[in-house]
Amino acid sequence: MIVEQIIAASIVMTTPILLAAMGGLVNRQAGIVNIALDAKMLTGAFVAVVVSSATGSWLVAVIAAALAGALVGLLFSLVITRANANMIVAGLGLNVFVAGFLGFILTWVYKSSGTLRLPDVQLLPHFLPESVSGVPIIGRALAELEPLTVFAWATVFVLPFLLASTRIGLWVRVTGNAPQVARSMGLPQKSIQDFSTSFAGFYSGLGGAHLALASIGLFNEGLTAGRGFIALAAFYFGRDRPVATAMVCLLFGFLEATQIRMQTAGLPPKLIGTIPYLMVLVALCIAGWRASRRKALS
Amino acid sequence: MADASVESQSSMMSPSIWLEKGFGLAFPFIVALVVAAVILLVIGENPIDIFSLMAKESFGSERRIAATLSAATPLLFTAVATAICFRTGVFNVGVEGAFVVGGIAAAFIGFSLPAGMGFAIILVAFAFAALVGAIWLYIPGVLLAKLQVDEVVSTLMLNFVAFGVTGYLVNGPLLSEVSGNNVTPPVHEAAELTRLMPPSTLHAGFIVGILVVIAYAVWTRRTPTGFSAAMVGYSQRFSRAVGISVPASIILVMVLSGVVAGFGGASHALGQLHRFTDGFSPGYGFTGMAVALLGRNSAIGIVLGAILFGALASAGTTIQLFSNIPLDLVNIIQGTVMIFAVVEIGRLRFLSRRAAP
Amino acid sequence: MAEAATARADATVRLGARNISKSYGPVRANRDISLSVAPGEIHAIVGENGAGKSTLMRILQGMEHPDSGAIIVDDQEVRFSQPQQALETGIGMVHQEFMLAPDLTLLENLVLGDEPVSLAAGPLSRIDWAQALQSGEELAKKTGVAVDWRRRAGGTPVHIQQIVEIIRLLRRGTRILILDEPTAVLAPQQVEDLFVLLRNLRDTGTTILFISHKLKEVVALADRVTVIRRGEVSYSANVAETDSDTIARYIVGGNDTSLIETGRASRSKTGDGEVVLNVTGLEAPSLEKSHPLHGVSLSVRKGEIVGLAAVSGNGQDELVECLVGLRSASKGRVELLGGDVTHATNGERRRKGIAYISADRRHEGLATLAPVQDNVVAGSHDRPPIGKGMFLSLKQKRRVATERLASVDVRYGHLSDPVSSLSGGNQQRLVFAREIASDPKVMVVSQPTRGVDLNGIAAIHKLLLQFRDDGGSVLLVSEELEELLYLCDRIVVMAAGRIVGEAPVEGTDIAEIGRMMVMQGHADG
Repeated sequence: MIVEQIIAASIVMTTPILLAAMGGLVNRQAGIVNIALDAKMLTGAFVAVVVSSATGSWLVAVIAAALAGALVGLLFSLVITRANANMIVAGLGLNVFVAGFLGFILTWVYKSSGTLRLPDVQLLPHFLPESVSGVPIIGRALAELEPLTVFAWATVFVLPFLLASTRIGLWVRVTGNAPQVARSMGLPQKSIQDFSTSFAGFYSGLGGAHLALASIGLFNEGLTAGRGFIALAAFYFGRDRPVATAMVCLLFGFLEATQIRMQTAGLPPKLIGTIPYLMVLVALCIAGWRASRRKALS
Repeated sequence: MADASVESQSSMMSPSIWLEKGFGLAFPFIVALVVAAVILLVIGENPIDIFSLMAKESFGSERRIAATLSAATPLLFTAVATAICFRTGVFNVGVEGAFVVGGIAAAFIGFSLPAGMGFAIILVAFAFAALVGAIWLYIPGVLLAKLQVDEVVSTLMLNFVAFGVTGYLVNGPLLSEVSGNNVTPPVHEAAELTRLMPPSTLHAGFIVGILVVIAYAVWTRRTPTGFSAAMVGYSQRFSRAVGISVPASIILVMVLSGVVAGFGGASHALGQLHRFTDGFSPGYGFTGMAVALLGRNSAIGIVLGAILFGALASAGTTIQLFSNIPLDLVNIIQGTVMIFAVVEIGRLRFLSRRAAP
Repeated sequence: MAEAATARADATVRLGARNISKSYGPVRANRDISLSVAPGEIHAIVGENGAGKSTLMRILQGMEHPDSGAIIVDDQEVRFSQPQQALETGIGMVHQEFMLAPDLTLLENLVLGDEPVSLAAGPLSRIDWAQALQSGEELAKKTGVAVDWRRRAGGTPVHIQQIVEIIRLLRRGTRILILDEPTAVLAPQQVEDLFVLLRNLRDTGTTILFISHKLKEVVALADRVTVIRRGEVSYSANVAETDSDTIARYIVGGNDTSLIETGRASRSKTGDGEVVLNVTGLEAPSLEKSHPLHGVSLSVRKGEIVGLAAVSGNGQDELVECLVGLRSASKGRVELLGGDVTHATNGERRRKGIAYISADRRHEGLATLAPVQDNVVAGSHDRPPIGKGMFLSLKQKRRVATERLASVDVRYGHLSDPVSSLSGGNQQRLVFAREIASDPKVMVVSQPTRGVDLNGIAAIHKLLLQFRDDGGSVLLVSEELEELLYLCDRIVVMAAGRIVGEAPVEGTDIAEIGRMMVMQGHADG
């Protein structure tokens, strides 16, 4: 019973991180470290709640959230690729800007501070019949399965193919790996980067929509709780490879799902919460140490 | 090797370039004000009215000025801590984390040492906060200097570790037994920094902050290590070739940055909050980055920038009461400043390239 | 796949330049250069570093625009506003830095920008890897080389990378192939293979423009040779009708006899002074596209200027870095004034009395965006009179900077202007001002007059001679043989990471040294 609950919760917790991480890794493969995934998730969550309430359709809400995320991503990208802005500072600035902007709208338009509750918000549907919950171990997870989780995992397995075998996939990889080669082969390097950042925004927007519409059905200023940065940690640790990154996301989702339980076992949740970041630090150290040894040997 | 016959353009610094530089300093802020004005127009407010109200609310009276300076205090520290690294070409975004761990370190000293020690507690608390902050940023500094570990990611990650660890401490070992969740016990009265203009919260930390800015100015211009660090920021290859140790400079500026950020945390804990709480910093480290960028790492620029952002914060709070304009306008302005502070570098480069024959 | 632009069979000039000139600020990189390459010809362009070859190639490839003059393709005047257009016209270039993405496979690199697709859907089109592989294999067969297309480019030997790059261009319809020093990174056997390949290509109708330093290769491969010296065409001939001595003379300016007869400065007066810098059996790994050091030994005595003559990329940069402490030697010994400094840092060696004029003035010799005064005091900022304990005296900094700048007559606007506002000659004088001020015993000087105007050159020569007459020692690395002959007391020749000869200056023929530099490179490499 507990195992079933943990599995179900882990999967739900993984989805938003996973979506943002898939976007972020494509972005990084094209040579842009996107530190503003959080801002796009927040945008997506907000738009999802507003649109879901207005239209009563979760599907329209999700699409709107993704497009809003992509739009923010595109604007962000233009600042970097066309105006030569430093991507780190601009990213941190965008996080501050979006938080301020959404807070402003929340206060001004909805006269609410921090939380937005709207009537008739349609949540993501659980589309499998209730009877699947009878399946041992994963039954509960199956019963709670909604379209965005399916879409996220489908992406994990389609993305390697897209990156390896489509034109745009090849272009994205060469742009990040050797921009001067991309340029000399006549590829529109900047537009490719703009595309990849919009892609990251699209997926982060979906991640935000999942946060808002998976179960709670409302928007809150602190809704993302740094998940954009967890996603960043995930693809750094997964070295931009979709499946490896997804596994890291799953681990992070599991940690989040079990935090409360671990507390009763004497493990403080706040400390558990630092594990993703410590993992990245350790991974960076190992990579750095290896590189310096290789240099010393050659 | 390519032909080395291409010469750099030989053009003297003309007055117009200095003008351009001056404009460059104001440019991000002007853009931010335009953005804010547009938003205000959209919601049907007169931007001029609001801006003048904001100016009045931040500088209009002695009390308001005190509130502004009080809000500027933590930014003096975080901006200096950021600028120390940025001018060396080290992209340290971990000042926020060092500020927070410094804060909890100072608070811990402030309530755990015997109250009878009096003023000495403050000294010990600042020293301990500086030590903790220094160790905190020493780690990514060494990783960068010795193993070329990307400092952006390592310091960013360390921020979250700082939030987690301090969040754990204030809910566990250092939790106040009387005051409920997420706070440490208050520091002894002897450990509190003097309030300068009661009832305002402006405290002696502001003076410490100004002293830190002065020390920074002295360090940048009048010390060999400050000079070396600047050269490393200009060009690492050049520095190596003239005999400056690049790793030593990198580690030094990270440690100094940690010391200053730790001081900032101590000032905030002992002067403002009189304890450590979860959510100790609403992003002072990142606002400090905006200040440093806006002030172009110069001491005067940092003081002006900190006061500007302090004014925004203090005006924002009261303006929400008077005019229904949400406080979040301040974040919008801050975010815009950060984005355009870096955009503008590209713009300047564009202009000077066009100006070249 | 891109259709090759239809080649005109009857064209007399496949690729040409008509009176091309190009200046960068005060430096005239190309002056009135005319060139014509016939269809199916291998045409070599030779000249020293900085002679203007690369500028010309960048122009032909559409990466730069000439100030005046025109490019000719198939007897027609053409204009390129970007490299893409040159590529579409059939001009493809293999650069010195290989243009393959290291993390992609060779096959991915091959199709980049021109992918065969099995399902057309714009950017989402699915790439037809089978067809890609087939086209790669076909072209590889033509070149007679086996390529493992699934390998990561970064993990592939350089000669294969180079061939893949050539194949990539051929696949995109290139019929005029420009190769920029293609043999610089190749072992002798690989050079042979490349030549076989290039001859094959020529015989099947590809026109080849081949840039090189190495006369032996030019003579072995090219049909026609053009020499560029100081931005101008100094010589052009059919290879069958000339010989390498003649070409060498035109490269190094040996025909300009006036300079050779009168171009000698006073010689060292001290002569057999003590040895101040001694290197024995030095070995070190190489920088990219260069040669590692093999048992290099040399010494510099008090009060003499020793020249080190080498074509770029033959190990002189590695040697210089080992001497000044910017690179660690894997074997051998460096002694400075009798003390072992093999493992000393750059700072430690400087304190012992070594100074360094870098060949890369803009990135290593100077911090170009930093103020003039900071550039001229850097390195002595932490010692009296400027550095006093924990502090630095601004007044002393200004005073020292002003004195140093005046001592070598640097023209500058204001002490706090960025160094980039100075002319090339003044920048280099500033570097000398800084380095000489520390009162060194030995100066390691690399390419001191590159990109410096005539007045600047004279001033720098005077500085070096003055330094020597005051008892200083200099190791001078230069590709300008005239400069070496003018300044040095003795010349050491280096090729392929080894010392291949030494000659006193008196009675040495410039062509003789030139031959050692250019011919010996692969004789024992």
